[in-house]
Amino acid sequence: MTPWMATVAPLAIGFGFGWFLQKGGLSRYETIVNVFRFRDLTVLKFLLSAVVTAAIGIRLLDVLGVAAEVPIPPTAIAGNLLGGVVFGVGMSLSGFCPGTVAAGAGEGRLDYLIPGGLGLCVGAVLYGVLYPELVPALARWGRVGAVTFADLLRVEPWLVVALLTELTALGLYGLERGGSRPSRRPSSHTDSRSRPTESAPRPSDRAARSA
Amino acid sequence: MQRPTPRRLSPYAAGAGLGVVVALSMAVFGHRLSGAGAYQHLSGFVGQRLVPDSMYWRHVVPTGLTWDVLVAIGSLVGALTAARLSGELSLRTMPDRQWSSAFGPSVVRRWLLAFLGSILTEIGGGIAGGCTASLAVSGGAVLAPGAFVFMAGMFAGGIPTAFIAYRRARE
Repeated sequence: MTPWMATVAPLAIGFGFGWFLQKGGLSRYETIVNVFRFRDLTVLKFLLSAVVTAAIGIRLLDVLGVAAEVPIPPTAIAGNLLGGVVFGVGMSLSGFCPGTVAAGAGEGRLDYLIPGGLGLCVGAVLYGVLYPELVPALARWGRVGAVTFADLLRVEPWLVVALLTELTALGLYGLERGGSRPSRRPSSHTDSRSRPTESAPRPSDRAARSA
Repeated sequence: MQRPTPRRLSPYAAGAGLGVVVALSMAVFGHRLSGAGAYQHLSGFVGQRLVPDSMYWRHVVPTGLTWDVLVAIGSLVGALTAARLSGELSLRTMPDRQWSSAFGPSVVRRWLLAFLGSILTEIGGGIAGGCTASLAVSGGAVLAPGAFVFMAGMFAGGIPTAFIAYRRARE
């Protein structure tokens, strides 16, 4: 790759990344935190849609012969799981993940740019300092390596992609069907002024609490 | 307010758009789409001073203006452009309504929790071997089992945290 491409390509890829995060509303605190409260499943829909589209896209590019060496993130069950839990706690507290910090900052959100960006840098340094202690301990458990489900099952990648697509479509269809019923609570998007005022006691709540 | 372009895409459409970006990044350029990586690649500037003989910054992660750092810069510009075109670009110090109705109007509280939370996401991403973009999406796209383990962990950590945080919220 020419040096020019090596600069323009990641900037263009990043541009698309930020564009779709912003357009999907992922650069908002509410969108992220409300998936963990089962109030707004945008994150889940966005994530699964991205995974399935990318999986099909990579297969297609491979068939077309455009694909270079595709990187496979290594699987190490203990690390993936424990890291995921720590990640989820942080994501739930802050309402962002490392990718959406840059996007939120681009939207003009100073709570993303300043404490968010600073926190990510501090976290990255802390991780580097802790690395010699943390990683060898975790790597012992459930280390599978850079493999895919297709390798493990010894089947064509297309088969797994088809299965993943089908399962995701079914799951999301179920979610949409289940979620189309009128919700018990007003969604976070409605204006607080349109809600019943807090001063008016709701008899049903009272009764339920005293029971 | 005027809306020159649609403000939001459906999560499915926006996700599919990101999926195309991830497919191009992975298959054509051979790079996972990364959010957390940029900060790891910047951490060496401080880390190498802090721990001069660290094998982590010598051999494990590169330091400098890498592919991932350029992606982060690009994503800031991409979001800025998208927000600008739909009239959503504005400087603000706090999230929209939900935060303050639950946790009060204190900017200090929001910024402290944002700082703490982002430290945890970066450390968690390091331990897991990737973040939402570089492990959940990029890994899921190549059918790596770790991606799905990570997603399960992410929800296992995020759900109880949100419920505890909002337990006493007035919202």
